[in-house]
Amino acid sequence: MQEALRIEDLHLTYRGLSGTAFSKPGAYGYFDTARHDNEPELISGADLSLKSGETLCIGGPSGQGKSALLRVIAGLARPSAGRIFYFGEYIPPERLTALEVAKRQVGLVFQNGALISNLRVRDNIALPLRYHKKGTPAEIEEKINMAMDLMRVRDSANMFPHQLSVGMQKRVAIARSWAMDPMLLLMDEPTAGLDNYNRRNLLPLIDNMRTLFKTSIIIITHDLMMAKELGCNLCFLHQKKLTEPHDFDYWLNANNDISKVLFRDLRTSG
Amino acid sequence: METTDNKVAAKMTLVGRLFHHLGLFFMTRTIGQQVCLFCRAIASLFSKTRSFKTDSRNIILQTFFTGVEIFPILFVVATLFGAVVIVEVMTLMGKMGFDDVVGNLMVVVIIRELGPILTAFLIAGRSGSSLTTYVGSMVINSEVDALATMGVDPIRYLVMPGLIGGSIATLVMTIFFSASAIGAGFVVTKLAIFLTGNALNLQLTWHYLSTEILGAISMTDFVLIVVKPLIFGCIITTNACYQALDIAHDVRQVPKATSRSVIKSFLYIVCADVVLSLFYFFDYFNELSRII
Repeated sequence: MQEALRIEDLHLTYRGLSGTAFSKPGAYGYFDTARHDNEPELISGADLSLKSGETLCIGGPSGQGKSALLRVIAGLARPSAGRIFYFGEYIPPERLTALEVAKRQVGLVFQNGALISNLRVRDNIALPLRYHKKGTPAEIEEKINMAMDLMRVRDSANMFPHQLSVGMQKRVAIARSWAMDPMLLLMDEPTAGLDNYNRRNLLPLIDNMRTLFKTSIIIITHDLMMAKELGCNLCFLHQKKLTEPHDFDYWLNANNDISKVLFRDLRTSG
Repeated sequence: METTDNKVAAKMTLVGRLFHHLGLFFMTRTIGQQVCLFCRAIASLFSKTRSFKTDSRNIILQTFFTGVEIFPILFVVATLFGAVVIVEVMTLMGKMGFDDVVGNLMVVVIIRELGPILTAFLIAGRSGSSLTTYVGSMVINSEVDALATMGVDPIRYLVMPGLIGGSIATLVMTIFFSASAIGAGFVVTKLAIFLTGNALNLQLTWHYLSTEILGAISMTDFVLIVVKPLIFGCIITTNACYQALDIAHDVRQVPKATSRSVIKSFLYIVCADVVLSLFYFFDYFNELSRII
C-alpha cells in the first residue's frame, strides 16, 4: 500500500513555530538559520508513517505540541531538522511552504475554523474551488451544495461566519476542506465545541471519507473515545517524541506511563 | 554545528558567493523584502490560477474602495489648497513684478510637487491604514494561514488587487486633485474676490490663468503626472500589505503596524519624490547649458 505521509526525525523549536511570514521572501526562512545551540525544542525526533487511506489519532495532554506538529505537516511551521515525505515525495526545506504542501492535496481544518470573515458560508466553501477553477460554475455549485448537505449547514448558506456558533463554524470549515477532495486531511480538534449529536454525526462522515474517498486522515484530539469509535490507531506525543501507533484496546490495557495517566478514567468506567 | 548558510556558500565560486551574500543582505533588510513583495505581487498576476473575471472584479472593488470614498475629502482639500496657492502666487508675484512666472509656479506647486504628494498622503492615511488593518486582522485570525493551506496564495488574493487597484486609484485621484485645485480653486478665488470687493486688487481671469498654466506645462510634466502617482500608489499599498503580513500572531501589533504603515509610507513617498525630481534637475541643466 502506498504511503501518504512519512516523517523522519522531526525537530521543531519555538522559533520555528511561527513559520515564515508571507511578507518575507520564500527563501528567507531557509537562510535565516542563525541557530542557537541548546535552543528549547517543542518536538525533538518525531517519526511517523501513515499509509494511504489510513486514519490516525494523535492524543496527549494539551501543551505537548500536537497542533504544532499539524502546523509543521501543513507547512505553516518550519522544522529545524528532519524530513517530511508527502505521498512518497520529499519536499526540501527551502521549498517547504504551505502553498507547496497544499499543491499535494493536503487539507487542514483549523481549531477555530479560520473562515474568511467577509465572505458568506457559501462563498467560503467556494473560494478555493473557484480559485483553482475546479470545474464549471454549475459543477462548483453542485459541489458546494453537497458539502453543505454533508455537514448540514445548508440552512445558513447565506450567513456570515460571525453569525454562526463556534460549532457551526467548525462544520463549515470541515465542509470547506472536504470540498477540495483532499488526499490527506489534517484535523485539529474536530470534535471540540461540538455537541454530542453533531459529534456523533461527524464520526460517520470521517468514516465515509476514509472508505469512499480513500482519504488519509490525521486527527488531533483530546477525545480518546473517538479512536475507539473510528476503529483507528492512536499515538501520543510523549516526551517530545511520537510513540508507536497502536489501537485503542492496546493503550487501554498497556502498562506504561501514558496509559496510566490518560486512560485511568476510561478504565475505571469500563 | 555548521549552518546552512556556510554549507551553501562553500560550494560556490567567488563571484557566486559575492552575489549570494549580496542577496542575503538585501533579503534581510525591510526595503529588500518590500521590493520582493512587490515583485511577487506583480508576478502573481501571471500565475497559473489567474482568472480575468475574478481579478478584474477584485481590482475594481479595490479601486473604488481606495478612490471613490476618499473623493469628497480630497475635493475639498484640493479646492481650498488651489485657492490659497492662486491667491498667494498672484499677490506675491504681482507685487514683486514677476507676473510672467505665475504659470510656472502654479505648475510646479500644484501639478508637479504638492498635488501628487498630498493625494498620496491622503490615500496613505485612509486606504493604506485600512488595508493594513484589514490584512492584519486576517493574519491574527489565522485566515491568511487558512488561505495558504487551501492553496490560495495570500499575495495573489490579498496583496495584488490592493496593489493594482491602489495604483490606479492614486493616478485617477491625482489627476482629479490637480484639476479641482486649478478649476474649483479658481472658482473659489473668484468668489473670494467678489465677496471682499477685490480688496487684494487681483486681475484674475480664467483666460489668463489657463494660458499661463498651459504655457508652462512641459512634456516631462505629462510623463511624470502618470509615473509619479503610480509609483506612490505602489509604495503605499506594498508598504501597507508588508506591514500587515509581517505581524506575528499578536493583536497588539495591529495598531503598531498601522501607524508604521502610514508613517513609513510618508517617508518613502517623500524619498521617491526626491529621486523623481532628479528628472527635472536634468531638464534644468539642459536648459542652463543651452542658455550658456
